[in-house]
Amino acid sequence: MNLPHDSAIKHVTGESVYINDIPADERLLLGKVVYSPHAHARILRIDYEEALKVKGVHAILTARDIPGENQMGPVIHDEPCLAEEEVTFIGQAVALIAAENEDAAQQAASFVKVEYQPLEAILDLETAMEKNTRIEVERKIERGDADAVLSHAPHVIRGKLRTGAQEHWYLETQSALAVSGEGREMMIHASSQNPAETQAVVAEVLGIPKNEVEVEVRRMGGGFGGKETQGNHVAAWAALLANATKCPVKIHLFRDDDQVMTGKRHRFLSKYEIGFDDNGLILAYKVELNADAGAAADLSLAILSRAMLHAENAYYIPDILIRGNAWKTNHPSNTAFRGFGGPQGMAVIENAIDRIARFLKKDAAEIRLLNFYRNDHNNLAPYGQEVKNNHLHMMYDKLIGSSEYFKRREEIVRFNREHEFYKKGLALTPVKFGISFTTAFLNQAGALVNLYTDGTVLVNHGGTEMGQGLHTKILRIAAAELGVGTGQVRVNATNTSKVPNTSATAASSGSDLNGMAVKNAIDILKSRLAEVSVAEFKKKTKDDRSRKENILFHNNVVSDKENPDRTIAFPDLLKIAYLKQVSLSSTGFYKTPGISFDKEKGQGTPFYYYAFGMAVSEVVIDTLTGMHRLLRTDIVHDVGDSLNEGIDRGQVEGGFIQGVGWCTTEEMKWDSTGHQITHSPDTYKIPTVNDIPADFRVEILKDVPNPGTIRQSKAVGEPPFMLSFSVWLAIKDAISAVGNHETEPDFTLPATYEVILLSSEKLKKRIG
Amino acid sequence: MQKTVRFVLDDRIVEVDFARFPELKPTTTVLNYLRSLPFHKGVKEGCAEGDCGACTVVVAEPGENGRLVYKVIDSCLVFLPMIHGKQLITVENIALTGKKDKILHPVQQVLVETNGTQCGYCTPGIVMSLFGLYKNHSSPSLEIIEDALTGNLCRCTGYRPIVEAAATACTGNGKDHFSEKEKEILSMLNSILSGKETMELKQGKQRYFKPFTLAEALRLRKQHPHALVISGSTDVALQQTKKREFLPEILDISGVEELKLFRETGTEYGFGAGLSIEQVKLLSESRIPVLHKILKIFGSLQIRNLATIGGNVGSASPIGDTLPVLFALGASVMVSSESGERMVKIEDFITGYRKTGLHKDELITEITVPKCQEKIKTGAYKVSKRKDLDISTVLGAFRLNLKDGVVTEIVIAYGGMAAMTKRAMKTEQFLTGKEWSREIVVLAMEILAGEFSPISDARAEAEFRKTVSANLLLKFYLETTHS
Ligand SMILES: Cc1cc2nc3c(=O)[nH]c(=O)nc-3n(C[C@H](O)[C@H](O)[C@H](O)COP(=O)(O)OP(=O)(O)OC[C@H]3O[C@@H](n4cnc5c(N)ncnc54)[C@H](O)[C@@H]3O)c2cc1C
Ligand code: FES
Repeated sequence: MNLPHDSAIKHVTGESVYINDIPADERLLLGKVVYSPHAHARILRIDYEEALKVKGVHAILTARDIPGENQMGPVIHDEPCLAEEEVTFIGQAVALIAAENEDAAQQAASFVKVEYQPLEAILDLETAMEKNTRIEVERKIERGDADAVLSHAPHVIRGKLRTGAQEHWYLETQSALAVSGEGREMMIHASSQNPAETQAVVAEVLGIPKNEVEVEVRRMGGGFGGKETQGNHVAAWAALLANATKCPVKIHLFRDDDQVMTGKRHRFLSKYEIGFDDNGLILAYKVELNADAGAAADLSLAILSRAMLHAENAYYIPDILIRGNAWKTNHPSNTAFRGFGGPQGMAVIENAIDRIARFLKKDAAEIRLLNFYRNDHNNLAPYGQEVKNNHLHMMYDKLIGSSEYFKRREEIVRFNREHEFYKKGLALTPVKFGISFTTAFLNQAGALVNLYTDGTVLVNHGGTEMGQGLHTKILRIAAAELGVGTGQVRVNATNTSKVPNTSATAASSGSDLNGMAVKNAIDILKSRLAEVSVAEFKKKTKDDRSRKENILFHNNVVSDKENPDRTIAFPDLLKIAYLKQVSLSSTGFYKTPGISFDKEKGQGTPFYYYAFGMAVSEVVIDTLTGMHRLLRTDIVHDVGDSLNEGIDRGQVEGGFIQGVGWCTTEEMKWDSTGHQITHSPDTYKIPTVNDIPADFRVEILKDVPNPGTIRQSKAVGEPPFMLSFSVWLAIKDAISAVGNHETEPDFTLPATYEVILLSSEKLKKRIG
Repeated sequence: MQKTVRFVLDDRIVEVDFARFPELKPTTTVLNYLRSLPFHKGVKEGCAEGDCGACTVVVAEPGENGRLVYKVIDSCLVFLPMIHGKQLITVENIALTGKKDKILHPVQQVLVETNGTQCGYCTPGIVMSLFGLYKNHSSPSLEIIEDALTGNLCRCTGYRPIVEAAATACTGNGKDHFSEKEKEILSMLNSILSGKETMELKQGKQRYFKPFTLAEALRLRKQHPHALVISGSTDVALQQTKKREFLPEILDISGVEELKLFRETGTEYGFGAGLSIEQVKLLSESRIPVLHKILKIFGSLQIRNLATIGGNVGSASPIGDTLPVLFALGASVMVSSESGERMVKIEDFITGYRKTGLHKDELITEITVPKCQEKIKTGAYKVSKRKDLDISTVLGAFRLNLKDGVVTEIVIAYGGMAAMTKRAMKTEQFLTGKEWSREIVVLAMEILAGEFSPISDARAEAEFRKTVSANLLLKFYLETTHS
């Protein structure tokens, strides 16, 4: 069923309200953040006397003015809200300004004089490793004895892979509106994927209890992980200013400031050794994943953990050793981004397999097939979880056929023979992605469902809407469970007063968790209503043949399955229930069963299930310029029984294209002092409409219900991101063609025009 | 003298009198103006530099045949006086208000149905681009659709459903409720435009002049030699929107119709300095294909509708796309002042990094391009990190004259290789008089690589620039010999 996004009409008419559009009263002040221009420095003095004199400036705050705790670290408390003695990255907040307008704020900011004593900064992973800035101890997942097997393996390939940072580039930059209420009350309109944590952070910096802070999220103009923890920052700053001035304060970061101040997808530097036999069967794999955490822990350890849990991707590897480290550097704290480390972990194995194929002069797709997890044996992940209901083989057959993989392979060989400077490449890559928060306790959700006597339904749940269509899916779930029309159901803005103590909308788990919590609330309501209807039928028929368990909710009518002539309209039933003093409101709750993971041992069942996908992409590169075109992509993706095909397809396509950006043109660069030189869309290039495949074929797998989830569906937010490796490796295949596939090309991620050109040039020189 | 800015919004003439609105100044952008109104917050800022299109609006202005011409623009780069005499159309104007629900415009309706929105933040801009497409094309080709959407970044959908929406919706020959009001709007606009007196605006320390005739423009130019000249403002506006600089004095020549003329004689083409890049693109399609090719990938449609050829030459950027092509074509720049005109060869006009030989009292009035003989071969290649809506990393433009397979004349001009557009003189010299063969070209590539010392920056490393610039010569060679 394809129900359009519940806000689609508001989107297209411009009515949908984002933080910056919320009408506020005339006292509204604009908040501005003064931030560090140094990657590492001691703060000697802050002088803002001049700045305070600017007309229209109401308050300037520094760390000393924070009434509560100067902290906003989400997991580990290592992130000051405002820098006090030391700044540890460029973009770190030092002072806050509240002013009546942009010009005044701007002028005041230029008058805030901060005296710094620059200190030595750590700006890359190598230096961080040398200086041993590791966060916590090294983590390991291990099975068998990889070293021993590698020492006997017929072939071993060793290497290093760098994967780049990625800027979220949500269209709506970080923003928050804080409105101080009576006494100490604080209302926050946030653009946050985690309102409960925004509430906690605001309460903490203000030094007030959580029950005085209310956080509401109507919608975000994109999140992608960037607002999982870092949406809290602007909220905390706005709250401090609102608290100090008693006026509403809005912060809406300017694009360049957002890009400078906020964390990115973690850069990784990974080292690997892979052992295999003559057929390409992988015997052992050793990988060391090193993440650039930035200046604070943020979610780095959880991200590292997911990278490690996806290091083997879709392949069964008997002897394996996965080691992971997160290192501190003097960059903004890197953070969640769609895939949450998964892409960084998977890129290494996908590239390694690509190398095996080149080494053995075989087609990489066949090597992949040979090593896929199986259903009856070879189905244990390195951390001990069984990989169940694996669709890899079925998807492979489907895709190889529908994409005419081998026929096109031949055509490409011919094309490459006939063209000296244009080269084509083709690659197939799979995704197996584990669904659940790897921090087990986070796998819980709450809901509050209200029924009104006119037959309408208002659903509150803990998930947030960032464009992914969660509310639309929830709306459909609620309507289906209650047997009413979707037009009767509305999903409310997410609000911490309605549903408390929720988890972030992240890990692709939004509809899995919240859908179940909503169902739980509805089940409770249905049970109450079934009782009312049984009583009502009894009153009418004077018999007691109607039983509660036979009551059906369907088509806006409540009926008795066994006595089909006994019906009552849903709205009428609600009116009766109300008169009978039955509560028409219920909370719901859900926790994912059977999940546990021992981080120290690297063993357990971290995932409730896995989602699968596969893609084939074809590119053409121009070896004279390094520019490329994506000619065709075929995707087969598994979403269980789709909750909404249009929305799921949108997640698959959108996630894939975002991944294509990371793999190709999105290059984050810094200068030698740690300043980003790609801090605006002028130089940081996300995909445009012209970067999508000229021929784009997406198939959502049919008839693959997922047992044990809401309406047998599967999560879809993150997994498709990694389908973009098909593009990345198709580019590599095309470069490789320059050297007739005899030499391993230099390659990194992203494969920018620079990588393509310089790598091709090197191969050209080699073949003469 | 006109002291207010007037335009049509929400089917009414709006008059902005800066004396009465202290929170506005003449260089307030159309984006910020709209967002200051209670009912026009649909328009969004995503970047304030013309790169995302979230701020896209449509302006309609009287066209040649008594009809309105609809153009998409980035409202973040446009100062209020620049829309004087135009109809400003925003996302709020596209749907009709029904009794209970909105009656969506076809482009909106289809976008809903194709799941073309996710987070919705880019959507108002996308809707406006689709609306512009709807008004200008019926059953557009995929190429036209993609071009119409290049200037709109969407981070959620992956664009496919938006392309589908465009193809499905734009079949109405441009007919909609705007067509019914066209006459009425035209007469409002004509009444505004009937006043040809120069506009002089003041707010605080800012002064803004907007002449409507060339004579007035030249007079003001002489009178206010320090005023910043703007034509499309796509370059200048960034000083305010990005660098947050205060612009004290502006001379806005966007209203001077004499600068928007095109002429063609037996030997040359004359492009008025005020012609938009989009207009030059269309004019050059059959006339100067090599220029057309480069203009097709210039910015986005929103940018090309604003940016002018005079502005591209006037900004003298080392990565300005028209310059290497104009070098290769042997173009000249016509400059005028109250005391007369002079014609300067483009190469002499560009004197340094963002520097020209323009005198303080002069304006560029025309770019003159000589017609090429048929046997002369030309080529131009833009290399950028992303194919579209990106600034050149390197742009190479070439002109070649062969006689019996021997080079009698070759011009090789590059953008992105030095502080200004530059010819590869040594390489040109080397090639002149030699056979036009791959062996010779390969030798020339080595000379070329030694001729420049490009920089490393956000776009690419020096090594990349060196390699690519040499490769482009080879590319040109291949193109001249393979077709
Ligand atoms: C998002 C974006 C994308 C872009 N993409 C490209 C691209 O692909 N290729 C490219 O080359 N450029 C690009 N640009 C740069 C810019 O758009 C062009 O240089 C454009 O041609 C400038 O024209 P304008 O009329 O807007 O200039 P303005 O900003 O109005 O003026 C630019 C300069 O020229 C001077 N000037 C303008 N007209 C005259 C005149 N008649 N007489 C004397 N001086 C004059 C002005 O004083 C000023 O110094 C891009 C800009 C943006 C914001
Ligand atoms: S705000 Fe991005 S183009 Fe105008």
